[in-house]
Formats: sequence, C-alpha cells, structure tokens
Amino acid sequence: MLRRHVLKSTALAFAASLVLTPAAHAQNPTLKIGFVGVTSGPAAAWGISNQRSLETRAAWLNELGGVQIGDTTYDIQIVAFDDQKDPKRAIAGMERMAQEGVHYVVGPNVDDGAAAVRPVAEQNGIIYFPYAFPKELYVAPASNAILGMVANYQSGPAIYKYLMDNKGVQKVAFVAANESDPLSQRDSGIEAAKALGLEVVSDKVTYQVDTTDFTPVLLPVLQAQPDLLVLSGVSPANAPQLIRSARELGYEGLISTETAQDASVLAEGAGDLAEGFISVGGASTPELASDTMREFVDRYTKMFGEYNDESNTKVYALEYIIETLKANPAAIDDVEAFKTTIDTFEAPNPFMVGDAKLRYVGQSSFGQKRQIAVPLVVNEYRGGKFETLFVAEVD
Amino acid sequence: MDTQTQAYSGRAPDRTRRSTRQVLGVVLFLAFVFGVVPAFIAATGRWDFYYTLTSVALLSVAAAGVWLTFYIGRINIGQGAYALAGGYVSTILMTQGGVSFWLTLPLAGLFCALISVLIGWPILRLRGVYFAMVTLVLTEVARLTALALPITNGAKGITSIPLPGGVSVMGVTLIPDFATLENPRQAFYFVAVTVMVLVYLVLWRIVNSRLGHLCRSLQQNEELSASIGVNTAWLRVLAYAISSFFGGVAGAMFVSISQSIYPSSFVVQDSVNFMLYCFVGGLGYVFGPMLGTLLLYFGWDLLQVAGQYQLLIYSGTMIALMLVLPNGVLSLFDRKGAGK
Amino acid sequence: MEQIIANGLYLGAQYALIALGLTLIFSLMNVLNFAHGQMYVFGGFVCYTVVAQLGMPFILGLVASALVLGVMGALIERFLFRPVIRRSKRDESTMLLAAGIAFFLDAVILLLFGEKQRGVPKIVNGVFNWDFRLIMPYDRILIGVLAIALIAGFILFMQYSKAGRAMRALAQDRMAAQLMGVDVDRYSMIGFAMGAMLAGLVGALLVTITGVNLGMGGPTSVKAFLMIMIGGASVISGAIAGGFILGMMESVGLSVLSSYGDVTYLVIFATLMVFLAIRPQGLMGKPWG
Repeated sequence: MLRRHVLKSTALAFAASLVLTPAAHAQNPTLKIGFVGVTSGPAAAWGISNQRSLETRAAWLNELGGVQIGDTTYDIQIVAFDDQKDPKRAIAGMERMAQEGVHYVVGPNVDDGAAAVRPVAEQNGIIYFPYAFPKELYVAPASNAILGMVANYQSGPAIYKYLMDNKGVQKVAFVAANESDPLSQRDSGIEAAKALGLEVVSDKVTYQVDTTDFTPVLLPVLQAQPDLLVLSGVSPANAPQLIRSARELGYEGLISTETAQDASVLAEGAGDLAEGFISVGGASTPELASDTMREFVDRYTKMFGEYNDESNTKVYALEYIIETLKANPAAIDDVEAFKTTIDTFEAPNPFMVGDAKLRYVGQSSFGQKRQIAVPLVVNEYRGGKFETLFVAEVD
Repeated sequence: MDTQTQAYSGRAPDRTRRSTRQVLGVVLFLAFVFGVVPAFIAATGRWDFYYTLTSVALLSVAAAGVWLTFYIGRINIGQGAYALAGGYVSTILMTQGGVSFWLTLPLAGLFCALISVLIGWPILRLRGVYFAMVTLVLTEVARLTALALPITNGAKGITSIPLPGGVSVMGVTLIPDFATLENPRQAFYFVAVTVMVLVYLVLWRIVNSRLGHLCRSLQQNEELSASIGVNTAWLRVLAYAISSFFGGVAGAMFVSISQSIYPSSFVVQDSVNFMLYCFVGGLGYVFGPMLGTLLLYFGWDLLQVAGQYQLLIYSGTMIALMLVLPNGVLSLFDRKGAGK
Repeated sequence: MEQIIANGLYLGAQYALIALGLTLIFSLMNVLNFAHGQMYVFGGFVCYTVVAQLGMPFILGLVASALVLGVMGALIERFLFRPVIRRSKRDESTMLLAAGIAFFLDAVILLLFGEKQRGVPKIVNGVFNWDFRLIMPYDRILIGVLAIALIAGFILFMQYSKAGRAMRALAQDRMAAQLMGVDVDRYSMIGFAMGAMLAGLVGALLVTITGVNLGMGGPTSVKAFLMIMIGGASVISGAIAGGFILGMMESVGLSVLSSYGDVTYLVIFATLMVFLAIRPQGLMGKPWG
C-alpha cells in the first residue's frame, strides 16, 4: 500500500514538475534562433550536422561578445527540437518555437516535415529555412520558407552540363531510395538530364534505405551501360556502399550525386573505390575556404570531437539570419520586415575567399527570392579529401 | 485520473451505484478537457500545448483501435497503414471531389473499415507474433502503395490541402470555417477531443456489452469460444474493422492539421508507437491507451529540455516503467481483486 | 543468372545468421526481440572501434563484438526480461520492454559512437571475376563463407552440446523441460546471450562490407522478423530457410522487376503477406507459434 502511494505521488510530482518548469532566463538579452530537425534515429546525421553547425557558430559569436542588431547586443541562443523525422512531431516543434517567441527557424530536414510545418509557420510569423526541395514550399502563395541550400534541380543540370562538355558523358542512369525525397529528386534529375539532351538509360531502379547489399540493386542499372551513374538524394550512409558495389561490379564510368557527403565516411566505406566521386559541397575545400571557414571547422571539431563535411552547406543559414537582421533591425520580431529586406539584402560572405556575397536568390526557380545564395561548389573525391571541380552560382 | 478507475469495468455488484459514479466520471472528464485545459492554457500562455494535446487525442483514437485488437488477443502493429489510408482518402475526396472535410472524416473511417475486412479476413486467422508481423509488413505495404499509385501523387505527396470548411444547417452555423478562425489550433483541439471522447465512449460501450464479453472469450481461448457457438471469424473481423475505422479517422484528422500528406506521414514507427501506448497505459483497461499516449507523447515533448539525452531518458523511463508496472500504469490504481 | 544466384546466396547467408539469433530468443522465451537490430548495430560499432580506431586485427574485433554483446544479452535477460515475464499478466507485455531497450540502445549508440556512417577498411582486396558472368569481391566471399561456417557451428552446438540440447528441450516445451530437471533460468540466460552474440557477430562481419550506422537497427529487426516468419518462428531450420529465401527473393526480384522500378519491394512484401495468410505457420513452424 505504502509503495503504491509513493509511486503514485512521485508520478504526479514528476508530471507536475515537467509541466511547470519555467523557461530559463538568461541575464543578457538573447536572440533565440530555432532548429527543428531530426537528431535521433536513422536520419540523425542530417539534423545533427545541422544543429551542431548552429551551435558552433552561436557559441563563437557569443564568445566575441554577441551580435549587435540595431542598438542592442544580443547573445544567440539555439533552441533545438528533435522531430524524429516525423511530420507530426515537426508541427509540434514549430508550435514550440512559436511558444518560445522564436521567429527564425532552421529546418526541417525532409520534404514531409517542411510541408507539414507550413501552416504553423505562416500563422505565427515564423520564417523557416528547410533543407527540402519541393518547389511549392517556396513559390507564392507560400512565403515563409527559404531554401537553405542549393536544390538538386539547380545543381543537377550544372553538373550534367559540365560532365557532358568535359568528360563526354552521353548516357546517364539514375538510382534512388524508395522514399519521398530521393524519388522526387530523381524525377527532377531525369527531367534535367533529358532537357540537356542526355540519353537516360535507366531510371526505374529503387532500393530500400536499409539495403545491406547493393549488388542486386545495381546489376540491372549497370547492364544498361551508362557513362554517368547518378545517386539521387543518396544519404551519406548509402553512398559509400553504392559506390563500392558499382565499382566492384566493374563499372568504370562516373558516379555523382547532388547531395552533400562526408569525405571520411567515403574513405572508410569505399576507400580508393570512391576516387572521382562527384558530389555537391559547401566552401571548405582548400581553394575556397576563408580563414573564418577554417576556424569554424576547428571550433566545430573542438566542440564535438569530429567535423562533418555536410556542415559545409549548413554553416550558412544562421549567418544569413543574423546578417539580414543587422541590415533591418525591425525584422527581429517582424518577419514581414524580413521579407522586404530579402529583395535588396547583400553582405560579404565570410566563409569564402574573394568577394563572394551573401544574398537571396531563387527568382528563376520560384518566382520570388526564397533561397539563400550558397556557392554551388561541385567536389570531386580524391585521396580521402574533396577537391573543387568547379564553382557555379544559382540565380 | 479518477475517471479511468471508475470507468474500468469491474464486476461490482451494485449496478446503480456504479453507473452513477460512471456518469460522474464522464462529466468530470468532459469538464476537464473542455474547461480546465483551455483555462490552464489561457492562464499560462502555453498555446503550444493545444497542438500537443490535439496530437495526443488523435493518436489515442488510433491507439484505441489497436487496443481493441489486443482485446480479441491480436497484436496489431499495422494501425499506421490505416491512418495513412484514411489520410489519403480524406485528402483525395477533398481536393479532387470537393467533398466537405466533415463528410470525409467518416468516409475515411468507412473506407479503412472496408479494406480492413478484405485484409483482415485472411490474416486474422493468424495469431501471436505471426499476426503482429503481418500487420507490421502491412504498414510498409501501405507506404509503398502510396508511393506507387498515381492518385496519391506518389513521392511528391499532396500539399496545400484546404482547412476544414464550415457547416451550417438552415442558416445556423454549426461549425465555423476554420480558415476564418483566428485560432484554428484551439478549434482543432476541441474537434480532436470530441472525436476522442466519442471513440472512447464507443469503446467502453463495446467492452461492456455482449460483444465485449465475446471478445474477452476470444482473447482467453479461441477454440473454446468457437466450440460453444461463437462465430469467432465474424467477431474478429468486426473488431478489426472497428479498429481500422478509428485509425482512418485519426489519420484524416491529422492530415487536415498538417494540410499536407506524404507516403511517410504514417510509418512503421507510428504503428509501433500505437502499440506501445496501449502497453504503457495497460492492456486491461479501456482508458489505458489514452493515458499511455498522453504519457509517452507528452513525455517526449517535455523531455526536449534534456537535449541530446532526450532519447536516453525517454527510453530509460519506459524500461523502468515496465519493470515497476509490467501491467501498465493503470494497474497502479487497481484495487484489490479488481484486476483480471 | 549465376550472378543473381550468387547474390541471393550471399544475402541469404547474412540474413540467416541474423534470423538465427532472433529465433533462438523467441523460441526460448517467447520474446520478440525488437532490439535485435540495435544489437547488430552495436556489434558493428564495437568491431569498428577495435579494428579501425584501435588498429587491432579484424579477428579481435569479431571476438570483442561477440563478447560485449553476449554479456549485454545475459544482463538484459537477467535484469530486465526475467522480472517482467514473471510479473506481467500477458506475454505481449515484453514487447514494450523490448521496444524500450531498442530505443535505449539507439540512444546509447548515438552518444557513444556518433551519428556518422562507419566502416572498416576492406580486409581482403580483389574481385573474383568469372568472365563477367559472375563477379564477387573476395571479401564478400570470405564473409559469406564465415557466415555459413558460423551457421554450421551453431547447428552443431545446438545438436550435440549439453547446453544446446537443454535449450532445444526448453524451446519445445518449457514445462516439460523444467520437470526433467533443466535449469530454466540458466538456459534462458545463456540462450539470450547467444542470440545477442549472434547479432553482434553479424554486425561485426558486415561492418567490413556494408559499414554500420545507427539507423540500421530498426529496419534490420523488421527484416529479421520477416525471415523468421517465412521459415516459421521458433524453428532453427526455419530461420535459416527464411533468411535464404528472403535473400533470394530480393536478388531475383530486383533483377526481374527492375524495369517496373518502384514496385519491387511492394511485390515482395505483398507476396509475403499472401504466403502467410495461406500458410500461417511459415514453412516449417509449429502452427500458432
């Protein structure tokens, strides 16, 4: 009886304390930036590199004394929410952000989550930066989402064009996991390839993300003898295995993808077989990285033990938010002001050498500026590292 | 909390006293969800709780279905399939047929009930883990079907689904158009809770009817109940159809909130979660799935403060809960002799 | 054709080994181990740590994985499953526990080993190529052979050792075995440890080929469930048959149906459902497992 009673009251006390926990108050004015993405489960790698990029940069800025927006100096606080790659959770995450008074959120990482949070974001005046490509998120009447990276329907054509001109590619084959994001990317890739006049020799083969042996998957693809094998929307976990299986089956053509990859993962998973693998990256290759980028990588490594090359594309979102707010301090709690600033905003890009600019693009893809201008850096894997193949711009 | 205890169908001899207490319990519960909760939210300003509680209500509707299949002795890990199907049916009727959302809600449920009869007829002969595994596969089949069919728009999903419209009878507005509401999440909360209350009343009624007794006999010994003339095959399919109806309704409601649906909107993980909600609450209690959903879903949200240790604490608590209360949290409130 | 069969056999060998551990645990304790996939992933990461980070030979990685997972399995049985089984009213309650353990291991794996895909460099280089009719890298052949050897070893152990006989008796009829003087608790623990050990061994074997990441756990469990259903739960030969059949189905299905693309797995899963509806106990299982 006594045990029952104790259990009952502890359970109630526990529940009460959780509900009533007051939000922690910081002493300096803080600017809260949200993150809603997947940091546990199978796709954890995407969200974790994202969240860690945010936290690294925020800690760094705070260490420098904060960020001055208008007349006030703020400390940046990252409010993170793990949506477990579940669109229903993502909505809860966005609601949480609204509750915390957050107006700028990075994420979600996948198509279904990005679509699901749209009503909440628009009702509560939140601008969010998804890493998902569906055009309807960015084309009017949608107006609160800003694409946080280069979409595959932008990078794909550039890569195919380059390979046609420089490596004589004529026949291309596509493989994708049987999930929404990769399949959508495959379809737009096929469209782009056909528009360029490439012959698509295989476009139907799909695989389950949990495949442990890709030989049977790739066998029919390689029988079509492509010059270029495109791994549409491939996750960093599957990429090395696919490359390895293709090479071991004697495939000698090119392999490419339009998503960001990690060099050490490729080195461990495919070793020398990954030589020449083409992927899209940020600006951390030695030819392009500025001192700021190198310091970012150092700080990230110090904070979390190991750098993830996927973060090269994910370092930008926070920078854009802060710089845009600096340009128009009224936007700090008014996203409409942010939206008007988008059209004219321009600031130097601290992560790249040369005079690269931070600005918003997307006019030709979406009809409005709803994308951050990340340099489209196409990398080639050589000897355990990425080397820049070419750099292009998105408009 | 008291409502759950009272509504549990013990075999108390004093029927009138029992039913008074039951009515009182229901009234208290209604007052709580429709009065106390909104007042609490208004007082604390925690508006995000509306969506969380809406989710809890809807997930517990789907979990109620899973619980019913447990009640006939079947482990159902396929409810996600019906939630997904329900979501798609509602969406397609709305976007392509122009049907009012409120009409698609029961239609989604009926569609799911119908396909569950077709699927359930052969597979309900399976028992134990075999049935569990087939239903697990069913969730994946539903996802792959949604990816492959043209009507579901495949991998691209369906987005920009309109909010539920208004309903008026003879000029009297029964339900306002959600698009015109200032605070649709509060409206969604009320709708979801109403659905939940209805579903649990139905469930409770079933359990305390002849049908419920028959179901229990199935759970305990199928051969025996067949030998005394119970049409077990029909009973199983009926229970499964009701279960899937609940799943379809929950799925349709969710889609109207997110205003978008993808093949990945309900996946294997959701199906497993529905089952876990039932376990945590307690398989022997009608209101078990409701409490289980509340604890697990809300618990995860609250544990967000734990940062990277969120999953560790969440799962650790789940294991501890199982060790301390292997028959569900509601077994805590069992009075002596009330358990089965 | 030769290639398709070879692929199927290789896949089948690794699948069968995963399914064996799961079916062992299921047959002894009537527990569907949702955490099996996570144990497999854990084994892979242990092997990765020993081989790639500490620079030890591969064989040590295998041994370390087997040991770590064996101990983990024994502890899980002793301190988690045993008390819950004893006290819960319904058998199914262990599913919640198993799922809780699966989540817990996921969290531990993320905290200990990180979110990245990991892999051990190839242990053997080179590719066997028979006139382009049959291409098989040597490391795959080696792993396939090792897997089959392990399966054979496991069968011999179950057939001829005292512990193996005791466990088979337990699986057939728990009550009778107890009456015959079999120490039920002890052999349940050994059985669970062996099941976990097998999961760890497969993880360690495959880390050289497919690598390992924390997301593989759940899907691996589901696949293993499929295999033991095809063959029939709680029958060892069934698990082996199930593993090879699923491997073969994937290999053949992916080749034959490749031109229809997206429906390959839909067909595989739907076929399985129909098969089980017709033959509920699987190929060689006891009816109503």
